[in-house]
Amino acid sequence: MSDFNIERLEELARLSLTEEERESFKKDLPAILKYVSQLQEVDTSHIEASAYVTDAQNVMRTDEIQSISDEDRKELVNAFPQKMGDALKVPHVFE
Amino acid sequence: MKTAMEIRDAIRDGKMTAVEALENSLKVIKEKNDDLFAFVEVFEEDARKAAQAIDGMKAEGKELPRLAGIPVAIKDNMLYQGHTVTSGSNILKEYVAGYNSTVVQRLIDAGAIIVGRTNMDDAAMGSSTETSVHGITKNPWNDDVVPGGSSGGSAVAVASGMVPFALGSDTGGSIRQPAALCGIVGMKPSYGHVSRYGLIAFASSLDQIGPLATTVADAALLLEVIEGRDEMDATTLDLKQTTTAELLETSFEGMKIGVAKQFFAEGLDESVKEKTQEAIELMKVNGAEIVEVDFTLMKYSLPTYYILNPAEASSNLARLDGMRYGTRAEGALMESYKTARGLGFGREVKRRIILGTHILSAGYYDAYYKKALAVRTAIKDELNEVMKSVDVLVTPTTTTTAWKFGEKMDDPLAMYLADIYTVSANIAGTPGISVPSGMIDGLPVGLQFLAGSGQDHKVFKAAAAYEKLVDWPQVAK
Repeated sequence: MSDFNIERLEELARLSLTEEERESFKKDLPAILKYVSQLQEVDTSHIEASAYVTDAQNVMRTDEIQSISDEDRKELVNAFPQKMGDALKVPHVFE
Repeated sequence: MKTAMEIRDAIRDGKMTAVEALENSLKVIKEKNDDLFAFVEVFEEDARKAAQAIDGMKAEGKELPRLAGIPVAIKDNMLYQGHTVTSGSNILKEYVAGYNSTVVQRLIDAGAIIVGRTNMDDAAMGSSTETSVHGITKNPWNDDVVPGGSSGGSAVAVASGMVPFALGSDTGGSIRQPAALCGIVGMKPSYGHVSRYGLIAFASSLDQIGPLATTVADAALLLEVIEGRDEMDATTLDLKQTTTAELLETSFEGMKIGVAKQFFAEGLDESVKEKTQEAIELMKVNGAEIVEVDFTLMKYSLPTYYILNPAEASSNLARLDGMRYGTRAEGALMESYKTARGLGFGREVKRRIILGTHILSAGYYDAYYKKALAVRTAIKDELNEVMKSVDVLVTPTTTTTAWKFGEKMDDPLAMYLADIYTVSANIAGTPGISVPSGMIDGLPVGLQFLAGSGQDHKVFKAAAAYEKLVDWPQVAK
């Protein structure tokens, strides 16, 4: 269960590791996975998995456009790492 | 240093101005921050303007809001419009918040003076504040040991007298553990108690924002202002006065306090165990009924956490890719993502992203993630069941006092174990508070009270009752 292909995980996570990090994780991660595997001892056959700890159900609100001030808008646009005018500039998504 | 309540009353009574309160705070920061590095940045100019505005209101005879003129610090993962916020990470080093987090907005509305942002572990992943891109924070009681983490900067800012209280965030113990190691009060509310809108997300089913302070009443005062329903965080609950600082007049008389042997098992330092037992004895002498209880699944909380936390973090941190904000890397799309993230995150963050990606990948999801969700339900049910027979559980907050810098940096599992007593409350979504229970070899020790879901007032009451019986360590140095 603790087999993993670290290069493939780097692709999936969109994350480059250095060779040194790769070697270190190959040691750390099996130890962590072994530690968490003790959960297999717990009989959960009668328990439902819950992703959530409170009893709240779907909390809905109306999908409304909320306007913001020009100043707030400017601050958000200013956070763009690259832009053309007020538009966010990104690398080509399709070749 | 005055407490937040003393500062509040002095300003209201005209014995001190908000500017004077701020200058007192800035003076201590100037004396100590170069050495301790609690604050990454001090918002001196904006804080001064805000304090002047409060003094202006006072001069005009207007009614002052609840926290008028009280200096407060925020952790560097809470958005404050127009101010840099980095989450301790290289990838956000230049990021300026475009809007206010709900907690910051509520502090501003309450008239609090936001003095600056405090240091934290990279992306809040750590228990020692050693992994911040900005540098390490030192424990004010001893230069050679860690302050705990990840809210180490907030804990040190309070413990060294720079500000009377501060906000931290707690995903597995990140408020309570540094509070314990620095000798102050730190409280994690029930899940849903405080809005996370504008908090840089880490593990969303576990994250809560909470207060750090030198007194229980100050912690309650700060929580009162930030708690409750917020439309911008759908997990928040509609709370009605769960914590009222003025109502903390309380004693152990008639209080039922649970002790579970699972918190006193192997791994607990003998001297911390003794301190905790002394504290329990003191409660008993003062009228508490001590009840032995069994929390059989407690030992599975940390392994559950180290599945859910990296899984959620790997998903949450996917947004940090340098495309819309943060630091962009050159190159075609895939290369840009991988490089920006490779350069932007520290080792522990990368470790958890890779681990979380593995856990959530096809073929492993059921065995790890789904299993952990089921165990989580079992832990939550058992803890809430235990809490039906007692008012609170009492435990040590940590297994040891603060450790030396570097000691756990090469051993991730050893670092993870620092949260072993705090993490159950995050897994179950229940409240917890750490209070100082004394000193061992010059370093503070913490005592933790836990309660059932939504019973936040109970941990405050137990903590306030305990506070009355002991001399807490004063502000360090």
